[in-house]
Amino acid sequence: MQPPAQTQQVPAQSGAATPKPARPPAPKVPPEFDALPIWKMDAPKLVAMVKDPNSTVFQKAIACKRLSIVGGREAVQPMAALLSDPHLACYARFGMEPNPDPSVDEAFRAALPKLKGRLQVGVIHSIGFRKDPKAVSALGKLIYNSDPEVAGAAAASVGMIGGLQAAKVLEAALKSTKAPVFAVVARACLLCAESLMTSHRARALEIYNGLISHSMPEPVRLAALRVLNANGPAPEYTKKWPAPTGAAADADTSGFLGRKPEK
Amino acid sequence: MAEEKKRVSRRGFGKTIAQASGLAAAAPMLAASQAADQGATRPVVGPTVVANYGMVDRLRFGGIGLGGRGIHDLKQLLGDERVQFVAIADVKESARENVKSLVDRYYGNNACQMCRDPADLLARKDIDALLIATSDRWHGPMAIWAAQAGKDMYIEKPATMSIMESYALADNVRRYGIVYQSGCQRKNQYAFEFAVGLARSGKLGRLLAVHADTAIGLGTVDEGGHSWWPEEPEPDPRVVDWDKWLGPCLWRPYNSRYPSGGRGQFWDFHAGLLEWASHTVAMAQWAADMEYTEPVEYVPEGGEFRGDGLIQRYTITCRYANGVKLILRNHSWMGMGSCSNRFEGTEGWVETGDSGRIEVSPNLKSLVPTRLGRRYDPTGEHIREFLQCIRSRTAPRANAEVTAHTHVASHAASIAAQLNRKLTWDPAKRMFIGDEEANRMRSRAYREPWRLEALATSM
Repeated sequence: MQPPAQTQQVPAQSGAATPKPARPPAPKVPPEFDALPIWKMDAPKLVAMVKDPNSTVFQKAIACKRLSIVGGREAVQPMAALLSDPHLACYARFGMEPNPDPSVDEAFRAALPKLKGRLQVGVIHSIGFRKDPKAVSALGKLIYNSDPEVAGAAAASVGMIGGLQAAKVLEAALKSTKAPVFAVVARACLLCAESLMTSHRARALEIYNGLISHSMPEPVRLAALRVLNANGPAPEYTKKWPAPTGAAADADTSGFLGRKPEK
Repeated sequence: MAEEKKRVSRRGFGKTIAQASGLAAAAPMLAASQAADQGATRPVVGPTVVANYGMVDRLRFGGIGLGGRGIHDLKQLLGDERVQFVAIADVKESARENVKSLVDRYYGNNACQMCRDPADLLARKDIDALLIATSDRWHGPMAIWAAQAGKDMYIEKPATMSIMESYALADNVRRYGIVYQSGCQRKNQYAFEFAVGLARSGKLGRLLAVHADTAIGLGTVDEGGHSWWPEEPEPDPRVVDWDKWLGPCLWRPYNSRYPSGGRGQFWDFHAGLLEWASHTVAMAQWAADMEYTEPVEYVPEGGEFRGDGLIQRYTITCRYANGVKLILRNHSWMGMGSCSNRFEGTEGWVETGDSGRIEVSPNLKSLVPTRLGRRYDPTGEHIREFLQCIRSRTAPRANAEVTAHTHVASHAASIAAQLNRKLTWDPAKRMFIGDEEANRMRSRAYREPWRLEALATSM
C-alpha cells in the first residue's frame, strides 16, 4: 500500500502554546558596517567594489563573501590580488575556494611562491581543499620548509589531493621529517591511503602497513591497524601458521598458538 | 544439597558472595541492605553486587570552552565515579578560572590545570576524553582535531557549520575509531524515546511525515547576518585571545559584544536553524529510520524576515527518497514545550516536546504511560551512555555518523531557505542537483592558519 500523497493536517493548537522566549532586539549595526546593501549587488558591481582602491576593508570583505556564491571567472583575479592582505586574504580565499572555474587553481598556484607565513598557509589549504593535482610537486617541496606551519599545511594538502604521486611524496616525507611535521605527514598518509583503497587497493594496503610501526603517532597507528584488520589476517599468517613471537609467544604457555621452542 | 540451593534467595546469594570475598566493607549498598534486612518485611531490591564491582573505569577528562551549557554538562560529568576531570582550556581567562574553581571545590584540591590553547590539551597523552562546549563555530574543527589526537569526546551541538564540515567530522571520527557523542540529549529523554518508538515500531501505520521544530532561524537565512560591529581595541590575549576566539571564522575587528554573547545574529558565528534542528531533525531522522541519509528535496515556504538576520515564521518541507516528508517549521505546534517533534502515519500521530508531555491520536491513548517516574536530567543519561560506549568502543545514539547526516539535512534546508527556492540533493554524490549556487554554499573556507583535513570537499 502506497502512502497517500498528502500528509495529515496538523491539528489546531490544543491548550496554550509554550510562548517563545522573548529575545531582546539586537542593537542596530552602524550603516558603514551594514552588509545588506552590498549583499544585494550583482556580480559586476561586487567585482568593481573589490577592485576599487577606495573601497573599505568591510566593503571588500562582504563583496568577496557574496562572490563566493555568485562570482564567475571575472571575479577571480580581483580577489586573488587580496591574497597578500593580512585581513582580506581569508575573504579572498572564501570567495575563490568554491568557485568551480579552473582559473582559481591557476591563481592559487601562482600566489603560492609569492607568499610567506600564515598567508602562504592559507593558500596551501585552499589548494588542498580544491584537490589540485598539478600542485603536488610544489607542495611536496614545501613539506621541507623551515616554517613548521607551512610544512604541515603542505603535507596535509598533499594528503587531501591524494593519488599515486601524492603517496610517493608523503612516504618520502615520512622518512625525513621530524615532529611536529611528522605527525601531520603520518595523518596525510592515512588520508592518501584511504582515497587509494578503491582504485589501487594493494598500494593502499602497502601504505597502511607502513603506518603500523611503533614509531608512528598512536592514533595513526591504531587507525591503520583497524583498516588492516578489517581487510583480513596479516599476509605472513596466510602463508603458514608460524609460531608466535614476542609477547604473544611468552604468553603462549600451552603451545596452542604455535610450536614451542625446544628446550 | 539441591534443596538447600533452592532456598538461597538472590539477596542471600549476594550476601554469601560478599562474605566469602570479604567485600562487605567495600560494598556500602550491600551493607545497607543487610542492615535493613534485620527487621525488613519488604523484599529489598536494587543493583546486584558482584565480585568485581570495585573495578571502575578511571577516565581522565579535559574540558574545552565550558561556559553556561558546558558547566551544566560538567556538573553531570563530575558526578560519575568513572570520571576524573583534570584540565580546562579556554581562550577566556574568566571562563578558565570559573571551571577550575568548580572542579577544585568538587575534588577538594587545587589540581585542575588551566591552559589557553586547546592544542596543549590535545597533546596530553594522559587525557582520555574531552568535554567540548565552545560556541558553534569551534565545534567542528575542535572535534576533528580531538579525533586526530585520539580523544573520545562529548561535544555540544550544533556539531558543524557546513555540509562539508559535517562529512569531515564523521570521516575523521570513523578513521580514528573515536567514541563521539553530540549533546543531543533528547535521544536519552523518555518522551522523545517513546515517540520515536511508536514510529519505529509501526504503531503509527505507514509513516507519512516527521516534523521538527526549528524555532527562530538565527543569523543564516537573512542577509543582515553578515554585518559587523565597529572596531574596539583588542584586549590582552590572556584575557580574551581574539585570534583564537575567531578561530576558523573570517576575520573581523574586535568588539566586546561578540565574546560576551552578542554574536547570535551573525552568520559567521552561528549555525542558524541548526540551533534546534540539530536536536529535532536528529529525532525525526531517528523516528523515520533515516539516520544514515538525508532528504532528497527541500522546499522553503513563507519566510518572514525581521531584517536583522532573524526570521519570524517559516516552513521547509523536505522529502526522503522513499516519499516520507521531513517538515521543519517554527509555528503551529501543540504547546508541548521547546524542541517539539511530531510523527504522523496512516494509523496515528504522536507529538512531544521538552515539557515531557506526550499527545497522541485517540486510537493510541492506551499506549501512553500514565505513571510518573523519577525526575531526571536527560543530559546525565546521555553522558552515562557515552561513558559506557567508551568502555565497549561502540557507537552511542548521537554518534558522529548520525550527527553528520542530521546536520547535512539541516544545512541543506537552511541553504534552500537562504536561496528561497526548491533544491534537490543527491546523498550519494553529496551535492545539489543542477544548482551551482547551492553547491558553492556546501562549505566555508577556514581562515588561515586553521585547516580542515578531509577527503570530502565540495570540489
